[in-house]
Amino acid sequence: MKLSRTKQILTAMFAVLLATPAFGQTLEPIQVGTPAIVEAHPAAVKLFGNRQNSQLVITGKYEDGSVQDLTRVAEFTSSNPQVAEVDGTKIVPRGDGQAEIKVSVGGKEAIVSVEVSNHGQVDSVSFLYGTLAALSKQGCNAGACHGSPSGKGGFRLSLRAFDPVLDELTLIREDFGRRADVVSPDDSLLLLKPLMKVAHGGGRQIRKDDPSYQVLRDWISEGLQMDPEGHAKVVGIDVYPPSGRVLKRPAHTQQLSVTARFSDGTTKDVTELAVYSSSDTEVAGVDADGLVVGENRGEAAIVVRYLEFIESTFLTFVKDIDGFTWNNPPVNNYVDTHVNAKLQQLKYLPSETCTDDEFIRRVYLDVIGVLPPVEAVEAFLADASETKRAVLIDKLLDQPEHAKFWALKWGDLLRLTNGQVGADGVHKYYRWLERAFRDNMPYDEFARQLLTSTGSTLTNPPANFYRTADDMNDCVETISQVFLGARLQCAKCHNHPFERWTQDNYYGMGAFFNRIQRKKTQRADELFVYVARSGEVTQPRTQQQMKPWLPGEGDVENPDEIDRRRTFAAWLTKPDNPFFGKIEVNRIWGHLLGRGIVDPVDDFRDTNPPSNAALLDALAKDFAENGYDRKHIVRTILNSRTYQASFRPNEFNEEDVRFFSHYQPRLLSAEQLLDAICHVTDLNETFGSLPPGTKATQLPAPDLVNNDFLKIFGQPERQTVCACERTSESNLGMAIQFFNGPLVYNKLRDENNRFRKLLSQDMAHEDVVRKLYMAAVCRTPSDAELQASMNHLNSKENKVEAFEDLCWALLNTNEFLFQH
Amino acid sequence: MITRNIQIAFSLICVAVIALPVSAQEEPAPVSFRKDIAPILINNCLACHGPKKAEGGYRVDSYSRFIAAGDSELAAITASNLDDSESLRRILSDDEADRMPLEGDPLPQEQTDLISRWITEGAKYDAENPEAALSAIVPPPVYPDPPEAYPRSVPITAIAFSPDGANVVAGGYHELTVWNAADGTLVSRIKNVGQRSYAIQYSPDGALLAVGGGAPGRLGEVRLFDAASGELKSVVASTSDVILDVAFNPAGDRIALAGADGAIRIHEVATGAEQRVITSHSDWVMAIAWNGDGTRLASASRDKTSKLFNTENGELLVTYSGHGQPVKGVVFHPAGDKVFSSGSDNKIHLWAAADGKKASEVALGGEVYKLTRSGGFVFAPSADKTVRQFEEGSHTEVRSYTGNADWALAAAFHPETKRVVSGAFNGDVKIWNAEDGAEIATFVAAPGIAK
Repeated sequence: MKLSRTKQILTAMFAVLLATPAFGQTLEPIQVGTPAIVEAHPAAVKLFGNRQNSQLVITGKYEDGSVQDLTRVAEFTSSNPQVAEVDGTKIVPRGDGQAEIKVSVGGKEAIVSVEVSNHGQVDSVSFLYGTLAALSKQGCNAGACHGSPSGKGGFRLSLRAFDPVLDELTLIREDFGRRADVVSPDDSLLLLKPLMKVAHGGGRQIRKDDPSYQVLRDWISEGLQMDPEGHAKVVGIDVYPPSGRVLKRPAHTQQLSVTARFSDGTTKDVTELAVYSSSDTEVAGVDADGLVVGENRGEAAIVVRYLEFIESTFLTFVKDIDGFTWNNPPVNNYVDTHVNAKLQQLKYLPSETCTDDEFIRRVYLDVIGVLPPVEAVEAFLADASETKRAVLIDKLLDQPEHAKFWALKWGDLLRLTNGQVGADGVHKYYRWLERAFRDNMPYDEFARQLLTSTGSTLTNPPANFYRTADDMNDCVETISQVFLGARLQCAKCHNHPFERWTQDNYYGMGAFFNRIQRKKTQRADELFVYVARSGEVTQPRTQQQMKPWLPGEGDVENPDEIDRRRTFAAWLTKPDNPFFGKIEVNRIWGHLLGRGIVDPVDDFRDTNPPSNAALLDALAKDFAENGYDRKHIVRTILNSRTYQASFRPNEFNEEDVRFFSHYQPRLLSAEQLLDAICHVTDLNETFGSLPPGTKATQLPAPDLVNNDFLKIFGQPERQTVCACERTSESNLGMAIQFFNGPLVYNKLRDENNRFRKLLSQDMAHEDVVRKLYMAAVCRTPSDAELQASMNHLNSKENKVEAFEDLCWALLNTNEFLFQH
Repeated sequence: MITRNIQIAFSLICVAVIALPVSAQEEPAPVSFRKDIAPILINNCLACHGPKKAEGGYRVDSYSRFIAAGDSELAAITASNLDDSESLRRILSDDEADRMPLEGDPLPQEQTDLISRWITEGAKYDAENPEAALSAIVPPPVYPDPPEAYPRSVPITAIAFSPDGANVVAGGYHELTVWNAADGTLVSRIKNVGQRSYAIQYSPDGALLAVGGGAPGRLGEVRLFDAASGELKSVVASTSDVILDVAFNPAGDRIALAGADGAIRIHEVATGAEQRVITSHSDWVMAIAWNGDGTRLASASRDKTSKLFNTENGELLVTYSGHGQPVKGVVFHPAGDKVFSSGSDNKIHLWAAADGKKASEVALGGEVYKLTRSGGFVFAPSADKTVRQFEEGSHTEVRSYTGNADWALAAAFHPETKRVVSGAFNGDVKIWNAEDGAEIATFVAAPGIAK
C-alpha cells in the first residue's frame, strides 16, 4: 500500500523535475508595431540600501486589444543617474534621492518614479530571505540533492528550506563550521563546491555572475549572521503579469517580475531569487531570470516559488494556423460554449458529431458499463426522432445498472475490499453506495454521511470510511485526495516541495480527525467507530500543538465541541467551497471523456492547471446550484456536443489531446471488457458465490473472487485512494489473453454461445455475421467486411469453427476493444 | 643507419638551438611536475577528472592517469609533442564549448606556458611512484600570512597547553596563536599553517608541536613545529581532506592521523614515512587515541562507530556501535581494558576493549566533542557549553566548567598548574582553575578582536 503511494508521489515529483527550463529555441524578434499605450511595471519603486534592484516589465497595448511584452526592446533613460539607473532591464540604485526612469518604445513613453534611501548603509543579507532563498534557487536543497532526508555527501539541507533551524545548524555550525570561511569567504566550501572548484557530486551549480552567488558570498563575508529577532517576515509574493495574458506569435515571450510583501508593509523585488517552472514545457519554458518563452500554442501555468510562497501566472499562447477557419459547430449547452471558446482561441477545429452507432455504444459503456443489446441498437438506429439521444441518456440514467456501475467507480476510491472492510461489511458498504447512486443522493449529503459517520460498520456502512482510513494520517491523506483533489502525503514529513501545502497544514487538518476511535465488537467483521472528547495533534517537527486548520480559512478557533469532523464537513460542503464541487465534476468529466479537465482527476495543484478553467468553473457552479445533483451533471455532459464529438480527428485538431476537440478513444476497463466479451458471446461469467447474472461491472470488491482476466486488464486492488491505481496501459499479458487466453477461448468454444445458438436456429450465415457485428461494435458490417467474412466461411469445411475464427477476429479489433 | 644519423644530428641541432639562448641568459630550471604542474591540475582539473567524477573517462589524480588517454582514446600528453597532446589542445582551445576547464575561466597564460614547456621538456615525472596521488607528491605549500587583525573570530577547534603550562596554543586561521595562560595576552603567532587546525598535540618529550588540519574538501596535512622556536620541521602526509586528529604514541616515535578521507595513518615521526594506512571506517575519522603501550589504537568516526585496531598489523579488533550517532571523541581507560567514546548522541560511553560490550554511559546536555585524558582525568567539551571533568578510573564527575556562551569544541588540562582551558565555537578561550572551578581568564583567540 505504502509502495504504490510512494510511486504516485514520485511520479508527481518527476513531472515537476522534468519542468526544468531548457529551451534551445531562438527568440522571435519583437515586432513593436505601434502600441496604443506602453505600460511599465512597477510604476513606482522604493529601493532601500545599495543591494536591492527592481525588474521592469514593459507592456505594449494595441488598438485591437492585443498585448505584447516589450521589456527586451524598450529603451531606458534615467533623469538622475546618480540616484538610479537601468542595468539591462533592472533598476539599480546609485545614491539617495529621487529619479524618473523614462521608458521609450514604439514611439510611446512611460515613466517609472524611483526613490532611493539608505544607500550608504549595508543592507545585510537575510539568512532566510537571502541565503536560504539562494540555496533554493540553485537547487541545492532539492529532493534529489542535499534536500533528501539523508542529504548528499554528508551535507544535508531541509527540503526547499522548510526547516531554517536545521539549515542554520548545518550551514554555520555543523562539522566545526567547515562549510563557510568568514576570514576568506572565497575559500568557503559552500561556494567552491557548486562552482566545481572542489569536486562536487552534483557538478557545477552556480556561476560567479549568478545573483545567488553574490548573496551567498555576502552572507559569509558578513559573518554568517542570522536574522534578528522580530525581523519583518514575508507574508506573500505577487507575480506580474497576473494570469490571463494571451500572447500571439511572433509575440511569444514574457518577462515576469516577482515582489515579496513583508509584514511591516514594505515590499522587495525578488525576481532574481524566485524559482520558476512551467506546468507544460511543450507549451512554454521559463528560464532562471523569469523570462517565459512560448514554444507551442496552448496554455501553461508558470509557477513561481520563493521559499514556501508559491504563486502562478497562467499564460495562453496562440498563433495563426494556415487555412484555419472556424466552422461554428452546433452548441447543445454551456459545455460546448466553453469548449468551443477555448478551441477557437487556440485554433483547433472540433470534429464532426459522432454517428448513432458510435453514440449508443459510447453512452451505454459510460452510463451502465455494458454494451447495448442488439435489439436496442437496432431500434435506436431505426429511430428517426431528433431527441432520441437525450431520451436514451435519461433512460440509461434511470436503469439500476447505472447505480451499480458508478458504485464500482466509487468503490475504487473508498477502497472497498473484503480484506479491508470484512466479508459482511463489503456487501453492506457496496449496497449503501449503490443506493446512493440509485436515489441520486446529493453529493454534499454523500460526503457528509461518509465524513461524519459513527457507530457500527455493519448497521451504518459509511462508518467503514474510518475503517479503511484507519489512523489520522490516512484520514488526512484520503480526505484531501478524494474530496480536495490534493495529494498531501509529502506534507506528512516536510512542506510540500512544489505546492503550497505545508507540514503545519497536514497536521492542522489532522486535528479534525485524530479523535476518531475504532474498536472491535463481539460480532465478527464489525468495528465500532466513535469520537473521543479530547486529543490533540502535535506537529512532529515543531512540537507545537496544532489547531484544526482549513485550506483557505486558516486555523479554526472554535470547532464543534462534540465532533470536530462536523466543522470540517460543514466547511467542505458549503456552496462556495472552492474545492468540493470542482473535484467531483472533474471526476465525472474524466469518467465520461477519458481525461479530466484537470488530469489526473485527483491532482489539483498550481503546477497542474485545468485545460479549460471556465468550463470547470461553469460545471462546478451548475453542480452547486442544482443541489449537488450528480445525475444532472452527467446528463449535461452527455447531452453536450463535446461528448458526442467523433473520435476521428481532422486536419486542425490532430495534435490536440487536452481541449476536447474530438473524443479520445480508450481501452475498455477490465470489468467492461469482460462483460463485453460475455455480451458478444451471449454467455454469463460466474463470480464465486455471487448471484448468477452478476456482471463484472457490478462486483462489490475485487478480492471477493479471484479473476485473472480482470487483474491483467488493470482491475485495481483498491489499496490506495488514488484514481491512478486503475491503469489502462496496455501490456503483453493483455495481448496474450486475447490471442489465446482461456477466457476468450472457452467462450468461443462454448456450446451455447451466440453464434452457435443462431446457427442452431438455422439463421443465414450472413445474418449471423451481422448479429455478431451488432453485438460487438453496434453496427452492421460493411460490404467489404461481410464479403471477407463470407469468403472465410466458404473456405472452411467446419462452419462452426469458421465462426469461432470470425468472432475471435472481431474481439481482437480495436473497434471492439476501445470505447470510441 | 642513415636515418638514425640524421635523427641524432637533428637532436643535436635541437639541443644546440634550445641551449643557445639559455646559455646566453640565466639557466631556467626545468619545469617540475610535482612542484609546477600537479598544483595546477589539483586546483583546476581534479574536481571533474578525479576519483569522484571522471568526466570523459579521464582522470588527472596521478601522473600516470594524467598522461593516459580518456574515452576519446587520444593521447592526453605525448612527451615532447605539443601537437599530439589532447589535454593541452583542450586547455588552449579557442572554442568555449571545447576549452578546459569547461564553463570556467581559461587558465592564465603563465600556467599554460608551464604545461607546454613541461611537455616540450619531455613530460618528465620527478617523484617516485607515477601512480601516487597528486596530493601526496606536491610539495607542502607555503601558506600566506594570516590577517594582521581578524575581521571576525573563528571557531576554536583545537587547543593545548604548552608543556610548562605557561601558554595556551589555539588553532587560528592559517596560524596557531599562543596566549599567556595567566592573563590571556597574545604571546606569539606561529604562521605557515593550513587554513584550519583541528588538533594540536605536543610530543611526549615536549620537543615537537604537531598540528593536524588543512583546507576542508581540498587538503589534509600534519605540520611538525619545533616547540621552542616555532620553526617548521616537517610536513607529514598530504591527503585529500582535512586531518581531524593527531596522536603521538607513548614512545613518541610515531604519530597517528585521523582524516576526513576516512583513513587512519601511522607515520614515523623522524622520517615522516607512512607506516600504515587503515581504511576501515566508511566516513570521517574524528578522533584517535593510543593505549598505554602503543599496541592499540582506538578511533571515533562519523560512520557512527568507534573501533579498536592492532597497531602492529592494522587488524580491526572490535567495532563499537553503541552511540548510533557520529562518534567524535575517544580515549583509553587508564587500565587499557576499556575505552571512553563520546558523540552526537550527547553521551560518553565506556565499553570493554575485549568485546565492545558497553559498561556504562553518561548523558550530557549536548553533543560531546573530542575527549582528552590528562593528569588522571578525562575532560569532555560539549555543545551544552560546558567542559566536564571525570575521574578517569572511577569515571565519576569531578567538576563542570561553565560560563561559555557557545559550544565548547575543544578542551585541555595542565596537571601541574591545574588549569583547564576550552575553545568555543564563538572564538572564545576560557581558562579555569581546576582546584575550585574559578574562571582565570577569557579572551577571543583572534588577534585584533577584543573581548
